[in-house]
Amino acid sequence: MASLTRLLERNLRNSSTAAGRRLYSQTQEEPAAGTKHEFDDEEFRVLNLRAAKQTDQQKRRVFKKEAALPPRHLKMATDQDWTAVWPGPRTFQPSSVPLPLRQGYTEKGAAPPSKFVNAELMKIPNFLHLTPPAIRQQCEALKKFCTPWPKGLESVEKWEKHFPIEVKSTDYCHALPTIRNPDARRVTLNIKLSDLKFDAHAKDKFLRLVGDRYNPNTGILTIVADRCPLRKQNYDYAMYLLTACYHESFVTEPWEQNKSEADMEYYSFERNKSKQTAEAIINWGIPTDAAKLEVSQDFAQTVELLINEGENEYNLGRYKEEVLKLLSVRNE
Amino acid sequence: MYLTRRLPRLCTGTSQLLATSCGRFNSKVAASEDRIEIPNRVQRSPTDILNALASTVGRDPTAPHYKYHDDPYLIPMSNVGKRTFAMAQEAGRKAAKFIKEEHRDLFKHQEAQPSIEAFAPQMVFTEESDVNADTLQNLIRHSQITDAITVYNLMKQKGIEITNDTKQQLLELICFYNNEEPLPEEWIEERWFKANADARERNRKTWKDGELAEQLFGEIEPKTAQSYAALIRGMSKYFQAERAYALLQEATEKQFELDTQTFNAVISVSNFLKETADQRWELCRDLLQQMAHQHLRPNLSTLNALLEVVSTFGNFKFARSSALKVLAEFKQLEIEPSLGTYYYLLIIFCRERGPVSHIIVDILNEIKGREFTIQHPKDTYFFATAMDVCRNHLHDKSLAKKIDELLHTGNNYDLIGDTYKESVYYRHYFALLCQTEPIDEFMKIYDLLVPNVYIPEPGIMEEILKAVEMNGAVELMPRLWSDMVIFDHISRESLVTRTLQILVDNPAHEDIPSHQSIPDQVGKIALDIYKKIAEPEGRRPKDLQFTGKMIGDILMLLVRSGDFEKASEVFTHIDKNQHRIPGTPSEKCLQEYVDSCIENKAPTKALTCLQYVVENNMDSQPMAERINAGFTLNEVHLSKLKSLVGENFVSK
Repeated sequence: MASLTRLLERNLRNSSTAAGRRLYSQTQEEPAAGTKHEFDDEEFRVLNLRAAKQTDQQKRRVFKKEAALPPRHLKMATDQDWTAVWPGPRTFQPSSVPLPLRQGYTEKGAAPPSKFVNAELMKIPNFLHLTPPAIRQQCEALKKFCTPWPKGLESVEKWEKHFPIEVKSTDYCHALPTIRNPDARRVTLNIKLSDLKFDAHAKDKFLRLVGDRYNPNTGILTIVADRCPLRKQNYDYAMYLLTACYHESFVTEPWEQNKSEADMEYYSFERNKSKQTAEAIINWGIPTDAAKLEVSQDFAQTVELLINEGENEYNLGRYKEEVLKLLSVRNE
Repeated sequence: MYLTRRLPRLCTGTSQLLATSCGRFNSKVAASEDRIEIPNRVQRSPTDILNALASTVGRDPTAPHYKYHDDPYLIPMSNVGKRTFAMAQEAGRKAAKFIKEEHRDLFKHQEAQPSIEAFAPQMVFTEESDVNADTLQNLIRHSQITDAITVYNLMKQKGIEITNDTKQQLLELICFYNNEEPLPEEWIEERWFKANADARERNRKTWKDGELAEQLFGEIEPKTAQSYAALIRGMSKYFQAERAYALLQEATEKQFELDTQTFNAVISVSNFLKETADQRWELCRDLLQQMAHQHLRPNLSTLNALLEVVSTFGNFKFARSSALKVLAEFKQLEIEPSLGTYYYLLIIFCRERGPVSHIIVDILNEIKGREFTIQHPKDTYFFATAMDVCRNHLHDKSLAKKIDELLHTGNNYDLIGDTYKESVYYRHYFALLCQTEPIDEFMKIYDLLVPNVYIPEPGIMEEILKAVEMNGAVELMPRLWSDMVIFDHISRESLVTRTLQILVDNPAHEDIPSHQSIPDQVGKIALDIYKKIAEPEGRRPKDLQFTGKMIGDILMLLVRSGDFEKASEVFTHIDKNQHRIPGTPSEKCLQEYVDSCIENKAPTKALTCLQYVVENNMDSQPMAERINAGFTLNEVHLSKLKSLVGENFVSK
């Protein structure tokens, strides 16, 4: 359809006015042709845009570009010091990198675009400033600020022994108007529970005090302090918490005597009804003055396991065996 | 950092904790036989790490100064370009600052933490401003002179009392800056490019007589030694020598104890006080005696001030002996001379009309390998002057290299001064080297310094071309020519002529491998020169015209490079513009052109050339013979030849 109208247009321009009228009526009959050419040479003046443009172009002075230097990598010596050329992180600059790099997607079979005017190379972070010689030089320069490794702390065991507490904090360096980062105040304190000495009551109480800060899988206690505005304060607070919890765990309050069976943190065969029942069963029919039979240690363990760990196939199976053994019933 | 610093204490802290926990159980105490030794932390300032890292970065000779963008389109290629680019950047910063000050109500937010004072809009003081002594103190501390004066006047109007202390501080500030707002610290580029203009203004009285400084001085009652000192120093800094000296005498009469710096200031202007050398020397001695009388110990500035006075002595011998006396005296006082001292020594000893002095050798032996920091304003003059002495006084390249080595020791490059002194330094260095070094050695240094550190001026370029001419090193010409195009030297007639001369006089030798591509490149250079002169680019006014010799050389070079088409185009230009081109090409050029016409079988062109020769009254005989021998001419050509050189020639 578009090509048809274009044809018509050309005809209109070339033909005389009479022919123009004829065609004009034709297009009127055919509204689907899309564009209407409602011009008549006698009635409308044609605005000739093209001619105007040409005169405009003639007036405009041709702008001549200043000659630019050739890319400077052509002048670089082959044994130059690369760390001086690219001392810090910066966006890729094709004229300064003497490598024939190519990157980017093209049609199949064609070579990827070269490094000049290549946005793909500029987008990705480059590590041209972290070449091994550069890192070596920087390490050399920073050596004078380092101290030798402390004597007496040569192995992991030794330093874990002397420094059982591990304190972690993070420094932040960023390009913002502020040099402070709220996360920098956070102090994390780690200690292995095995490094602290407890008795049974104290350990139980300590674990109750620290709650989920203790990870039973790794045996590590973690205290995170971030409630104070400064790192120093948070560090002091974390150390205070550790000390306070430790000493508190050795204190036995009067109300701790009121601990009933339901408050126990684990099932102990010795203290429980099932021991009495089991003993009652095996001592059944034995005269009261005779020595009482004791429940076997295996049975006690199995019951404890069953209740503390929960019912599973293994525990249940062992329990069955022990019960049969206890009652001297043969399993056929 | 807090925690790392606490590390040793952390250890003892935990061992205490564990000890208590152990003690509770009465179990065995931790064995203390393996003692640990934690070394102390290495103390460092906040920037030490950065300085250490920066020290690993060397200089890249292919890169522009870091203030410019590292992009072929944005690297400045001429001295003007360097200045323009740097100043344009700074102009942008200035514009931003202007907008910030103009629309201060829009920039009230203070995000930075800790807040940056320089980013906060500056206070504006008007008649209604509420001011007090603290405001004035604050302004004085920040050296905001105009504001400080406004506030001072306001306080006086409102009848707020100003303490003598504050007045003294304000007086010192105004005397130091001569009641003018100094160029703000942050305009580094302006400072770097401006000093050139400053040099012209020096030694002129600029002190503002009878203005605020002197009023303030009058207001301070009772007068103190400090107020005298401030005014005297201000006056001598801005060369109001007579009054400074009068004040000094007044202060001495009133028995005020002045300080060394004040005496130094007066000594340094004593050449304005007395006419002849003897009188100046007498005055200096007098002043020094006064210092001794007041038990003041002279310092480095005293030494430099004395030498400055000595350097103005016209009598060479007297200047020399006085300088040596001063030096000996100060050596006894164990005052370490600065670079400024050596600068004065150089200008005292190495004078243009004086005998040759090798004092610079001794100076260099003394300060070899030392690192300097700025101690005196004249310290920045040393390197440029030393290089000047090397070039013009002694003409010694090994000394020049020693100076260059000293300049690149440590942070000594900071003492090069400004762009003007830097270019003077390198100008002398290059001029000396290209006269004394073998051309290959020289080009190595050239590659290292041009164009990013130094761009040769046309005069130095000519020296380099002379060196190339002497060595016949035509293989360097393509490089030098492209540099000349980039540095904008092609409008200098002397340079273009010399370039062409070198190319004409040194035809390439095919057997030398480095000369393989020379003929082609020479042709290109010749064509380039021709185009640059014949069709100058739009903006540039036509400031370079052909001379006959110049265009003849171009013609010859084109012929030699085998580009006959272009050569004939150039000849057409010569032929058409005969009246515009002063002089004519040499006969040799035209001869070569005709030879190439014969080679290319273009008899018409050869005949045109012959016609030109005849019209310009040159010896046409040999050329006509060549044309006759070289071509089998048809009737038309023969008749033309006859009409040009006459019948008798053909009949021969």
